[in-house]
Amino acid sequence: MGSLLGDWPSYDPHNFSQLRPADLSSQSSKVTPVTYQPTHSRTLPPPDQVISTETRNILLRRFYQKSEEKLCRKRAASDHLTPEHRCKQPRGTLAEEEGY
Amino acid sequence: MFKGTNVAARIFERQIISPRPGASINFVRQFYENLVPGCTICDIDCPDYSFKKITDDGQYLVSFSRNLQDIIVYRPTWLSFSFKGEICDYESLTQKAKKFDSFFTQLYCITLGSSNEFICKDFFLYLENHQFGLFATSTAQTHEVPANEGAIHGVPSIEKITFHLVRLKDGEVMDEKSFYNDFVNLTPHSMGVFLYEDLLCIMSLRYQTIHILQVRDSGNLVDVRNIGAFCLEDDELYLNSHTQCPAVVNKSKPDENIHQSANGIHHQQVTQGSSFLTGIKQRLLSFIFRKAWNEEADPALRVQHLKKKFYFHFQDYVDLIMWKVQFLDRYHLLIKFGSVDGGVSRSTDQHPAFFAVYNMETTEIVAFYQNSSEELYSLFEQFYDHFHANSRELVHANFISSYSNNVHALEQLQSMKNKTSSLSQFVKKIMTSLPYTCQSQSPSPYFDLSLFRYDEKLISATERLRHSTDHPIKFISRRQPHVLKFKMKTGLETSGMDSSRTKKISSFLFHPYLPLALSIQQTYMQPTVVNIHLRL
Repeated sequence: MGSLLGDWPSYDPHNFSQLRPADLSSQSSKVTPVTYQPTHSRTLPPPDQVISTETRNILLRRFYQKSEEKLCRKRAASDHLTPEHRCKQPRGTLAEEEGY
Repeated sequence: MFKGTNVAARIFERQIISPRPGASINFVRQFYENLVPGCTICDIDCPDYSFKKITDDGQYLVSFSRNLQDIIVYRPTWLSFSFKGEICDYESLTQKAKKFDSFFTQLYCITLGSSNEFICKDFFLYLENHQFGLFATSTAQTHEVPANEGAIHGVPSIEKITFHLVRLKDGEVMDEKSFYNDFVNLTPHSMGVFLYEDLLCIMSLRYQTIHILQVRDSGNLVDVRNIGAFCLEDDELYLNSHTQCPAVVNKSKPDENIHQSANGIHHQQVTQGSSFLTGIKQRLLSFIFRKAWNEEADPALRVQHLKKKFYFHFQDYVDLIMWKVQFLDRYHLLIKFGSVDGGVSRSTDQHPAFFAVYNMETTEIVAFYQNSSEELYSLFEQFYDHFHANSRELVHANFISSYSNNVHALEQLQSMKNKTSSLSQFVKKIMTSLPYTCQSQSPSPYFDLSLFRYDEKLISATERLRHSTDHPIKFISRRQPHVLKFKMKTGLETSGMDSSRTKKISSFLFHPYLPLALSIQQTYMQPTVVNIHLRL
């Protein structure tokens, strides 16, 4: 038959009879795939970006994150409060996350 | 996952199914449901040694002689038999083959102990990359010890503890490291030695020092650093070059004196002898101080807050000693602090315990929690595997069932948590397993909780002695909830009267990947019974 499927056996000889090799070859030459070009460069990675594995495991990262939260977060909050301190009554203590 | 349970069907399926990414080991492990060590050879005739461990690569069985002087190493093999001719008497052949020698070939026997030094039979660590084994010998413990300089009270002393690095291939002792008049805890629960990749940390309790050693490829044990009195390598040099007089009052904490009278004057003696607190203690106190300082944003209330949180407990913090240590990675240590008398006891009520994460490179304390901290518990529940600190090269160790990699283990833990009346008591109880004792769990797939369900009081991956029962231990399939996969009989069937009176203790040694296990049953005043469980 000369089709793309060759002379492979099938139950019904009329199967795949509609396929013409000419159709197939012309189809493949006519269709060019659509390409998409980006219209902006917002999502490009920075040119000096290097991706590497984090050396610290997730448990240690959490320990560091929690300690930074405790040491830095309160400091940032206290900077915010200090200017108002002079004209207002002393505030109550900030809610403590956890004591030991 | 396989569709069927039949082993032949699974082998055919394996040809066409590809496992999910990253789960190929879990996929292949399902074959262990089909090949189970259900056959028991009871009371096998074997030499009277104390069998310690089958190494995690399955290459060696390490045992100690009864007098704790010698090490005997075997190679685990498998029984084999052959016959000539056509008529095969399978039964009698297997009977003849059921000997200890069919499974274990002796490689060598070396003597490590001497007349007054005995091998510590609870201690053995294995370095898989070079096939090195670490053993320890020690002289007897003495409790009445004269106070040495730098040593703390309340801890017994051992005249000499030696760690031996042995190449297990041929039994050659590569290197030794000794500690004199010191105390390193080598009991299974409070193991004072932790191995991570090629780094070893040894907790010297008497001198409150963590010794970090490296095992080189050549087989040498090299000192890397000592943490305790000094944190950085050049601290000692700096202090020696600047010390003018021996007794300098600790001026760093002026408010301490106000509270001395509250805490009792006798505490002053602790700091009188040495001029400074130890390096690690200073790091700890400064971390607690900074944390308490930052908790209170209002400067007016800050001092009050500090008094409550820090100064009031100051002497308690100073009196803390390091009890156990483990690596979290190559630079971070998890240190357990406790009071002098509370270290080895399992009761958590009277004695508070604390955990600190210490960075060896920056010498900073990163985190500090009490053992009842729920924050630490939630990290424990989520990232339990990272507390195990397995290096990435040891693949099989990452598949030991734990709370964070197995949903069944997590369910068990959470149901225990929901049943408990006091959450803080529950948390304290769970925290007694930290710091982790390295190489204390068997990587055998038969302990995988996704494959089998078993009574964890009778047997589990953790290697320790348990009370044995007369009933065989059942391993039930997890996927088919009521199907019994195999049973392990732990001993000879004795009559009802005898068994109830005598207490039996059993321990199990599982081969890491073969369907082979040893169960050792010890009864008071009777010879030890060793059974082999295998798949025939």
